[in-house]
Amino acid sequence: MHRDEIPPGTLYLLILKTLARSGELHGFEIANSIQRVSDDVLQVEEGSLYPALQRMLIKGWVTAKWGTTAGNRRARYYHLTSAGRKQLAVEMSQFERVIGAITRVIEAV
Amino acid sequence: MNWLYELARRLSMLVNRRQFDEDLREEMRLHLELLQEEQVRSGMPVTDARAAARRQFGNETALRESSHLALGWEWLEQLLQDANYGVHAMLRSPAITMVALLSLALGIGANTAIFSLMNAVMLKSLPVKDPTGLILFGDGLDQGISDGFPNPWLFSYPFYREMQKRNQVFSEVAAAFSMTDRVHGFVEGRSDAEAMNIQLVSGTYFPMLGVQAALGRTLSEEDDRTEGGHPVAVVSYAWWAGALARDPAVLNKKLKIGPTIFSIIGIAPPEFFGTKVGESPDIWIPLSMQKEIPPGWGGYNDQMFESLHLMARLKPGVTMAEANANVNLLFQQIVRGFSTAPLSQENLLKLDKTRVELNSMATGFSRLRYQFSEPLKILMVVVGLVLLIACANIANLLMARSTARARELAIRQALGAGRKRLIRQLLTESLVLALAGGALGVAFASVASNLLLRMVSDGREALQLSVSVDLRLLLFTLGVTLATALLFGTIPAFRATRLNLTDSLKDGRGQSCAPAKGPLAKALLVSQVALSLVLLIGAGLFVRSLINLAKVDTGFNIENVIRMRLDASSAGYQEDARLFMLYQQIEEQVSALPGVRAASFSGFTFNEGTWNNGIWVQGYLDGHSETDVHHNAVGPGYFAAMGIPLLVGRNFGPQDTATSPKVGIIGETLARTMFPSGSPIGKYYGRGGPEHAGDIEVIGVAKDVKYSSLDEEQQPGDYLPYSQNVRYLNDFVLRYTGDSASVISAVRQAIHDVDAGLPISDVMTLDAAVARSITNQRLVAELSTFFGLLALFLSCIGIYGLMSYTVVRRTNEIGLRMALGAKRSNVLWLVMRESLWLVSLGIAIGVPAALAADRLVVSMLFGLRANDPVSLLAGAGVLLAVAALAGYLPARRAAMVDPMVSLRYE
Repeated sequence: MHRDEIPPGTLYLLILKTLARSGELHGFEIANSIQRVSDDVLQVEEGSLYPALQRMLIKGWVTAKWGTTAGNRRARYYHLTSAGRKQLAVEMSQFERVIGAITRVIEAV
Repeated sequence: MNWLYELARRLSMLVNRRQFDEDLREEMRLHLELLQEEQVRSGMPVTDARAAARRQFGNETALRESSHLALGWEWLEQLLQDANYGVHAMLRSPAITMVALLSLALGIGANTAIFSLMNAVMLKSLPVKDPTGLILFGDGLDQGISDGFPNPWLFSYPFYREMQKRNQVFSEVAAAFSMTDRVHGFVEGRSDAEAMNIQLVSGTYFPMLGVQAALGRTLSEEDDRTEGGHPVAVVSYAWWAGALARDPAVLNKKLKIGPTIFSIIGIAPPEFFGTKVGESPDIWIPLSMQKEIPPGWGGYNDQMFESLHLMARLKPGVTMAEANANVNLLFQQIVRGFSTAPLSQENLLKLDKTRVELNSMATGFSRLRYQFSEPLKILMVVVGLVLLIACANIANLLMARSTARARELAIRQALGAGRKRLIRQLLTESLVLALAGGALGVAFASVASNLLLRMVSDGREALQLSVSVDLRLLLFTLGVTLATALLFGTIPAFRATRLNLTDSLKDGRGQSCAPAKGPLAKALLVSQVALSLVLLIGAGLFVRSLINLAKVDTGFNIENVIRMRLDASSAGYQEDARLFMLYQQIEEQVSALPGVRAASFSGFTFNEGTWNNGIWVQGYLDGHSETDVHHNAVGPGYFAAMGIPLLVGRNFGPQDTATSPKVGIIGETLARTMFPSGSPIGKYYGRGGPEHAGDIEVIGVAKDVKYSSLDEEQQPGDYLPYSQNVRYLNDFVLRYTGDSASVISAVRQAIHDVDAGLPISDVMTLDAAVARSITNQRLVAELSTFFGLLALFLSCIGIYGLMSYTVVRRTNEIGLRMALGAKRSNVLWLVMRESLWLVSLGIAIGVPAALAADRLVVSMLFGLRANDPVSLLAGAGVLLAVAALAGYLPARRAAMVDPMVSLRYE
């Protein structure tokens, strides 16, 4: 099965959206969720989630706390802050603007 | 605000770095495990699953690294790492580091200390409201009481009142007595007299300056209305805190000064020290009370009692030129209007040409400034040069070090260290050195400025100056050294990292590896030598001046003389027969003490001010007067006590009484100029006008003495017996044998047996008084010698370092030469020649520079010219000798090279 690399610059958007939809998730769940929801099309190089998450922690978009998984393992759960929600809206509109523009360009006759 | 929260999160992550790391590791491990389990569930063997999970996850170390970078603190971590490395590098060569740190510390510290003193003496604004609007009449250098005409420097009280009333350019005019009165008074409830420095001021003084009382009120115009009618006093904050022990009930407390009781009405604010820099009065009293303050000046209504400094505040919008025009117009009008002014034709002509010079009083005024500004400027230049030399030294040191490390840097580059990263590391190391030196410099500066203040105060009570370490200059000098370290740390860093790697890896010492010790290092060394020579020659000049001054014949014998001040006016004596009796009794009692050979009262001894006016000689050049004769009133024991030889005639004796014919003893110079033909003995002269020319009979001629300073020209002077001139004589001198301390205590006892209430102060030996008069010259000589030697030392370190380096670099060449038959002496000379050449070049540049520089200090020199060949030769000789030694040590090491070893070394 062919998997596509995610377009550059959209990793934050994907993480923010995923967290917004599912509430608390740990890193593995975030990666899985992106993959599953995109019907296995979008492939996150899983490790690269972590530097991104650290940056988001610093920006204050997400917070993290330790909890236990269903399999009774210690895992670090991330969830969205209100700043994160605002950022999601910003990234969404940016993304839509870009996609809209690209669409207009490729559909132009 | 967001960035602030973000910074806080970054900081907290930095602080909890370990936790951050562990968290990251753990969640990554979990992720990997979950991935692996997923693979296993889909049927992959465990070992393959692990590899697959790792593949899918990516490079864990790199990811952790990039997570770290997200924190944004890597620069700090690197900085700490570099700093740490820098400290270690410094510790590896402790001697060089010590020299570098010491020179930095001394350079920074000395500059800051001297500038701080200069700031306090010359530059700091008065702590009053809007000091830039303040104007001083004249230059404020004259002190005392004059009846000179016309006088544009000192003014009478009636003149002040006229100027205040009639001017159109000042919002207020104020006056202050040109001297402070040192009296002894009593604080209410205490039985011992206290020394008090009293400043008489006009009622407008405080309001004009805009100074508000810290407690109570200051003086006002109301306190300066009626002569003798306002016994009120404002005390200084320091005096309240000291002498009054911060008494909270200070207001309305009484002070008994002379016979008068004064009420304290207020405390001046802590920062206010008056208007004269270096003098802090304890008590301000209105000029209306001048007759009540011992010795009881009575100039309140006297138009010709010129004793005041005048100051004023410009009205807003008035220019200096307008003020000048108005003041000088009024000066002419007011003085011409005075009924008691001596308006002779000659004086009116002089008046026409006289102008009052107005000066800004923003920084106050001061004799101190006049006295110290020259030496301070010289010292500032000296320490500035020392700082330059220190910087040159640091530069050479840093260049040498990074050159020596070329190989290390090449290896690091080969291992993949970025060039930027290496340069940053070298810079950090330089910074560590500069900052450590700077920190030491700051510490040294505060010690040094106190030391310096004590040196300039020298014996007298500490100068009343608040010398705080000047922050601006401290930052400036720190900046200079940091810039030096950065610049000279960078140049080699750039060079070293631009290396052809393979070359320097092949050979750590070859010619190819580092040209850094080339012309730049040599130029630095040459300029260092030249600057050192300038300093050494300057120091030589100052030291020789000081020696010349010490050799000056004062005319009196400074050994075994004690001088003290007895304040009879504060003890309630009037200038009458009772005072005369007191003086006689004390002289008799003290002279009779064992260990005392002679004792006498006198108006002055040395460097205590003078009493000058003109004399007229009977029968000599009709109407001719010598205008500037230094008078002194003394007792018969004065010449023996001071050791002044009487050349001709007789001494004063008991036959010279208030009613006997007036007599005088004149100095050689006066005898020569005013009595040119024959012996002056038996001839007559007088003071106060031609009609008095027959008043005083000359009975003796004494050897000339110095009056105010050792370097003054011989002045005409005379002595009058105080029995015929009863007046306050504050000086008491005695010649003693044996132990001064026991003599002093016996003398105190004897004086207090005569009058227990007579305040005794300022007890000191005459040679200390003479030494005090050359404080300036000694200060400059001592400090310039110290810094000259420091500069010499730094230059030698420079020579030594450069030559050592050269020797190491040329070991092969030297070995080869020796293998080919060169003698050790040839090798020695080979190396010595280079250092001697550099030093000679430095001297060749330094000599003309010194000749040019020394012309600027000519006013500080005594008994020699600026191009004094002895100082010049001595400076150059010392420099050459010491530099030769510094060059000899590495040269000898070169000569010791074993050719076999050095050739094999290659």
